[in-house]
Amino acid sequence: MSATTVDTRALLDNTTDDPRRRAPLVLNHTEFGFVTDTVCGVVERTTPRSWYIAFAAALLMTGVMFAMITYLITTGIGVWGIQVPVGWGFAIVNFVFWVGIGHAGTLISAILFLLRQKWRTSINRFAEGMTIFAVVCAGIFPGIHVGRMWVAYWLFPVPNQMQMWPNFRSPLLWDVFAVGTYATVSLLFWYMGMIPDLATLRDRATTRLRWFVYGVLSLGWRSSNRHWHRFEMAYLLLAALATPLVLSVHSVVSFDFAVSIIPGWHTTIFPPYFVAGAIFSGFAMVVTLVIPTRHFFRLQEIITLRHLENMSKIMLATGMMVGLAYSTEFFIAWYSGNAYESFTFLNRAFGPYAWAYWIMVTCNVVVPQIFWSKRMRTNLVVMWIASILINVGMWFERFVIVVSSLSRDYLPTSWGYYRPTIIDVLTFAGSFGLFFTLFLLFVRFLPIIGMAEVKGVMPAALHGEPGHGDYHGDVVERVGRRGGAR
Amino acid sequence: MPSLINETGPMYWRSLDELARTPEFAEAVRREFPNDEWDRLPAATRRQFLQVMGASLAFAGLTACRWPKEEIVPFAHRPEDRVPGVPQHFATSIELGGVALGALVTSYDGRPIKAEGNPEHPDSLGALSAVAQASVLGLYDPDRSRQVILRAGGQEYAKSWDEFEADLAGQVTGSGDGLAVLSEASSSPSLGRLRDRLLAARPAASWYEYEAVSFDGERDGLRTAFGRPLHVLPHLDRAHVVACFDADPLFEHPAAVRLSRGFAASRDPHRPDGMSRLYVVEAGYSLTGGRADHRLAVPASQVVGLLAALAAAVMERLGMPVPAGLGDAGGGPSPESFLAKLADDLLAHRGAGAVLVGPRQDPLAHALAAVLNAVLDNAGSVVSYHELADPDRPSHLAAIGELSARIAAGSVKTLVILGGNPAYDAPADLRFAELLGRVPNAVHLGLYDDETSRACRWHLPQAHPLESWGDGRAWDGTLTLQQPLIEPLYGGRSPIELAAALLDPVPVRGWEIVRDTVRAVAPAADFELHWRRCLHDGLVAGTAAPAAAPQLDLEAVSQLALAQEPPPAPSANALELVLAPDSKVYDGRFANNGWLQELPDAVTKITWGNALLLSPTTARELGVAQEDVVAVSAGGASVEVPVDVLPGLARFTALLSLGYGRTAAGGVGNDIGTDAYPLRTTAAPWVIPRATVRPLGRRQKLACTQDHHAIDTIGFGERNRRVANLVREASLDAYLEDPEIFRHMDHHPPLEQLWKEGTYEGEQWGMAIDLNACTGCNACVVACHAENNIPLVGREQVIRQREMQWLRIDRYFRTPQGVAPDEVEDAAMVFQPVACVHCENAPCEQVCPVAATQHTADGLNAMVYNRCVGTRYCSNNCPYKVRRFNFFNYRKRMADIAKMQLNPEVTVRSRGVMEKCTYCVQRIEKVRIAAGNDRRPIRDGEISPACAQTCPTRAITFGNLNDPSSEVSRLRGDHRSYATLEELNIRPRTRYLARLSNPAAAAHVDAGGGDHGKETA
Amino acid sequence: MARDRSDNIFVFPRWTWVLRPGFAAAVAGGLLYAGLIVWLGFSPKTTDVGYAPEQPVPYSHALHVGQLGIDCRYCHNTVEQAAHAAVPPTQTCMNCHATVRKESEKLIPVRASYASGLPVGWIRVHDLPDYVYFDHSAHVRRGIGCVSCHGRIDSMDVVYQFAPLSMGWCLDCHRNPERHLRPVEFVFQLDWVPEEDQLVLGRRLREAGGINPPVDCNTCHR
Repeated sequence: MSATTVDTRALLDNTTDDPRRRAPLVLNHTEFGFVTDTVCGVVERTTPRSWYIAFAAALLMTGVMFAMITYLITTGIGVWGIQVPVGWGFAIVNFVFWVGIGHAGTLISAILFLLRQKWRTSINRFAEGMTIFAVVCAGIFPGIHVGRMWVAYWLFPVPNQMQMWPNFRSPLLWDVFAVGTYATVSLLFWYMGMIPDLATLRDRATTRLRWFVYGVLSLGWRSSNRHWHRFEMAYLLLAALATPLVLSVHSVVSFDFAVSIIPGWHTTIFPPYFVAGAIFSGFAMVVTLVIPTRHFFRLQEIITLRHLENMSKIMLATGMMVGLAYSTEFFIAWYSGNAYESFTFLNRAFGPYAWAYWIMVTCNVVVPQIFWSKRMRTNLVVMWIASILINVGMWFERFVIVVSSLSRDYLPTSWGYYRPTIIDVLTFAGSFGLFFTLFLLFVRFLPIIGMAEVKGVMPAALHGEPGHGDYHGDVVERVGRRGGAR
Repeated sequence: MPSLINETGPMYWRSLDELARTPEFAEAVRREFPNDEWDRLPAATRRQFLQVMGASLAFAGLTACRWPKEEIVPFAHRPEDRVPGVPQHFATSIELGGVALGALVTSYDGRPIKAEGNPEHPDSLGALSAVAQASVLGLYDPDRSRQVILRAGGQEYAKSWDEFEADLAGQVTGSGDGLAVLSEASSSPSLGRLRDRLLAARPAASWYEYEAVSFDGERDGLRTAFGRPLHVLPHLDRAHVVACFDADPLFEHPAAVRLSRGFAASRDPHRPDGMSRLYVVEAGYSLTGGRADHRLAVPASQVVGLLAALAAAVMERLGMPVPAGLGDAGGGPSPESFLAKLADDLLAHRGAGAVLVGPRQDPLAHALAAVLNAVLDNAGSVVSYHELADPDRPSHLAAIGELSARIAAGSVKTLVILGGNPAYDAPADLRFAELLGRVPNAVHLGLYDDETSRACRWHLPQAHPLESWGDGRAWDGTLTLQQPLIEPLYGGRSPIELAAALLDPVPVRGWEIVRDTVRAVAPAADFELHWRRCLHDGLVAGTAAPAAAPQLDLEAVSQLALAQEPPPAPSANALELVLAPDSKVYDGRFANNGWLQELPDAVTKITWGNALLLSPTTARELGVAQEDVVAVSAGGASVEVPVDVLPGLARFTALLSLGYGRTAAGGVGNDIGTDAYPLRTTAAPWVIPRATVRPLGRRQKLACTQDHHAIDTIGFGERNRRVANLVREASLDAYLEDPEIFRHMDHHPPLEQLWKEGTYEGEQWGMAIDLNACTGCNACVVACHAENNIPLVGREQVIRQREMQWLRIDRYFRTPQGVAPDEVEDAAMVFQPVACVHCENAPCEQVCPVAATQHTADGLNAMVYNRCVGTRYCSNNCPYKVRRFNFFNYRKRMADIAKMQLNPEVTVRSRGVMEKCTYCVQRIEKVRIAAGNDRRPIRDGEISPACAQTCPTRAITFGNLNDPSSEVSRLRGDHRSYATLEELNIRPRTRYLARLSNPAAAAHVDAGGGDHGKETA
Repeated sequence: MARDRSDNIFVFPRWTWVLRPGFAAAVAGGLLYAGLIVWLGFSPKTTDVGYAPEQPVPYSHALHVGQLGIDCRYCHNTVEQAAHAAVPPTQTCMNCHATVRKESEKLIPVRASYASGLPVGWIRVHDLPDYVYFDHSAHVRRGIGCVSCHGRIDSMDVVYQFAPLSMGWCLDCHRNPERHLRPVEFVFQLDWVPEEDQLVLGRRLREAGGINPPVDCNTCHR
């Protein structure tokens, strides 16, 4: 494959598989400058009015959330719809939902990296960012869902005059550590991967302020061979470190339910089921975000149609895994011969919460099936709507698991029906506000695409074109060393 | 006894000599009518205030500044026997419907905080009904009237007692012409004495007695049968066959506590002469009906017909001439199968049976019962008759009718109403409230400035029974004393004191009056000693009325029967409406009592209000559904009430309880539920024919603690499947055939222990609950409420499924398989008290992240409020769902005066923490420390939790499982012993003893679903 | 892009590397210091011990107990039967002060209370949280001396809090009571010292009395 052939064909659709050559990951351009200019352009061009509008809206919603939380703390969690038997409602549902969203990032960055999936380069920064923001949103809920927020710190093993320690047998405590670790590592991973690009922004800075801020953030990056060497090492190690986390976090989250004795919760299938679901929802969210962004910032040539198609395929796969999990649950409920278990699932599908159950099945199992067709996989509108539906479905999955199981457990006299209050709903909506606030700040002020990495997978890098200076020379060597592109 | 108002403060759960004195509190006590709406959520502003407190508390830990300075305020002169912080107990009595129930009241540093039964008292035997226990809360009700009020010219004036007495002296003079006294039902000899003196001193004066719920039907019936009214006292413990015709001896009867104990004894499968059998004929489920072996649901109006038919059948079989009018007196449906079976049984157990009739039934029914008991030789053996203190008084309905007539005629100048609330509960056709307005000088002595007071010229604050001297008679006539435990909080006076004031202007103290009465009734050589003895026992020994051997007058009965024309059978457009005193607020007098309002009705499980009960089929035929609001009309009057669909009611029969819809009850009771009194007339006080029900197209939520939402078909089926295993029941025959029958009912693989077995040394507490004894009377629930400072949450919170009772009584209707929810006509009703069962492998303990709930060395599942952060994980993981959560600070709006009731031995929980049954750990610790101090082991039965202590049937047994000789160990070894949800291997420490039914040979009750009560009119 | 970086302050010159250890040490030290302040500074040991409020009547235990040798139980007479070692009624003071020092103006509040019947408002020194249920009888009847928790009251002119009274402090003793156990007859003798080693004596007493203090939550919290 030669650069010239690529140049001549001004194409945006790189989804046609031509056995003679590998489809390009960056379209119509071979020179690194293009990538740098495009990505940095996003940050450097003057802020468009539409951004301000979106940001204002997001900020407003965030305000709503904090208002709701203040009301909650001043009043008592009775303002929520929770009761006995349904002691966990929106708060925990949202927590699991957001943590799930937060899975795609690390998966793309770490696992796809270790698997040498070069196409990840143009979306990983983006996904990692999303991960962080999702985890931030998730982190809020466990904190505020307890009855006495002001002593929530008792969940941490802090030495105290009471000589009391947390109960290490409790899955909730495992959560504290699992999510904590995940958040830390993701943040490190995200930030460290950004350093070379931050340095680029620093070097291109036109105003003193930008120069200073990006300067501080890039920690004196000089992009010397030594720097690149250390960087690569650290990146590889972090990737290796993050990979098990992708699996562990949601497994631990699923233990909150699996370890209990409530029929519908007490299931060994939960860990894989939750992880698959998390990746499913994670990718759906990436698609939801990436489609408008790439259109808005004209990144079609870097985040190409092929990338989106790949993600659709992953959604199809994970969607079917989730579907398998659903059916397995039913099978086991029947096969185990456990009367309580079988009733729980009968009740899920046909009881008072059937509506939630069928929303979940439709969105998570039926909708992804359209991705069997290539026309759908490459149709942005369809893909975008589908991804949103999948997010809805995944939220309802958590709702079904948490609420419908609790609402009818062992003693029929204490069965109940949970109804969320307006506070529940607004808090949840508000968490989206927070998410988008952070996201908008991200696309405005940080390199949303890993420039260095994208360059690393461009033909130019693979053939080491002369005249680009030692900086990119580094890139060439680096990629050569990594042996990513043969 | 010093008045405590000025010495009590916010640190109410500490002992008196440590109380912080706050002027605000003293202020609050004097405050007029503090607003206290239980049934609404706190206003947001109040919540903010609360949060500030919460936050400051939180930071107190961080900034480590000392908590507020506390003062210690010792007595200046400490009474001889008083040890600060050590409770004392006083015997007194609580009178309801003219029957005194002996009580033992716990006083903590001078504050009465809990009422328990008086073991010495014949009607109590150590237990107390739910209503009687709740009277303690009534004492501290912030809405109680606090001063004498004069109403004149549309104005209200706060007056003093002196001003009232001066005014009265002017009004009541000479022969007492135009003076009438209306008293509520009372058996007080003192009041009787004063009445006689008054009528002697003022011959022109007249004295009436009225109470909505009375037993005059029985009086008149027996007057017919025996020539004079008598009290019927069944001795159920001796009975073999008990037939209840619209009677509820286990709950509604004034001596229900005593009768329940007897009934439980007769249901013991190991009773040497076998277990008794219970037949019940009634319109809708009563608690007695719930325990029936054979139950027949018929309209209340048809009961007398069945009774007549039964009497005829029995007498025929005995070869006696059947008096005219008996054979065909019924006319209503008479299902041979049931009556034949009953007749056989009664004849087979002559002299060992009892035929009982309830207060709703008219005299004929009672007379017929008397006939049956007489011809079956039950009289004298199982049923005894006792002379009355006041045989000649007219019936309550007659009395109020006569009084109304005289008022209408304008011949009543001064009307003194001693207690009661006639303006609210007098028969509607008398329009008593209006009549009161015509009395120039109406005086009402009442605990509250209620409907009656507002229609009177004078309102006088009444002293609460726990504040005043008094006396009364038990059902068997035993003279029972009532002594005050605290100075009247609001300077109220008792009825006897006011009655005395009518005689001589100088106020006489109740103490003297009662002393004189005792001196008169039971003279003793050394009176002081005798008096002290009586006060200590709470009763005057040997004053029970002797059993009478009355002569039966068949002729009179037959005359009465002939005079009766057969009542119409109800139909879809002419329903039969049956009124009943409410199981909680009674005739409405307890409407302002939060404990009772929030107490789930035993059968319907409805709190905070009443509902029109209809059977599923009747509801379907009328086209109304659960929670539809309907207009019930009868005799021109009409009320609007939501519908509750319930099995076990007779067809075309509707049940409605009295006592709700109060307008001047107080902050708690106002506008709760529907007032049914407008439908109640002198002609038809209880059973109202030709009523119509019209849907209004509105719906109203019922605050129900069970079946929180209309049950769908799947849930309905599953519930029926599970009941059989949760509440295990078998017929006596089946049980005797195979004692292991209940063990066969658990279906689960062998249970493997995941953890290593714990070591069990020292005391290991456990509980056994005998479902065969439990009648579902709710006494334990209120006892728990009082003992453990359980907050009230109000109607809205109950609707949101946030009720707080630690102990709940699950009620199941066991319906035959394959019947759709709306086709259930009749179903067996079973009860199961459920509180924390203190699992050995407690699921809650595993999951609490901060170890706030832990297992103790003596096997309790301890809940540590001050460690709890409120994740609610424990509640989610509790298979019994017995944990309760403080979603708000439910204490925030508690009136300071009400705080005086709180038990100092139990932490008061604030917002955001979980709570649950502790096996009354405070009682355990108290005994443990005392025993340890004396270096002695804890005796079996020395510790009894509040629920076990007050259970009328002794269904709950608590004790040490490590002691093989303890009662609880013995019971858990019993063949009937089983654990619910045993298959989860959580090893509950509370186990149940299965229920036994004893149907006549024909019908059999299999473990699956009760056959009893199958037959239906 | 490939510009001269000598002007770039973000490219630190080599010599700055020597500062790194110092910087690291400073950060670590700061954190440690903050930790210690919170840990020690806010512990009940520091905050509660020594609390000595001024009482309405300047009653001196040093005088009454230390010099006059009045037994603790003369005033706190419920200590062996009840949870509360009740503060004496005014009457108890007047038993002596009706005749002794009857004119002293220090005693005015006492005489006033005796006359009016209203209590003297003493300030609580040993104040446990309201969710803690402590029982004096359970301790003194088993041989825990007053001095173990209240210190040498007989030498205090103004009573002050001697022990932290924190949960950890309670647990220390409940876990090894032998450190404080003494023969019951010496419980109220504040200056008593064991002839033999306290631990030996303690173990023996514990053995003999079968004293195993529970450490369950509901021992103190109900």
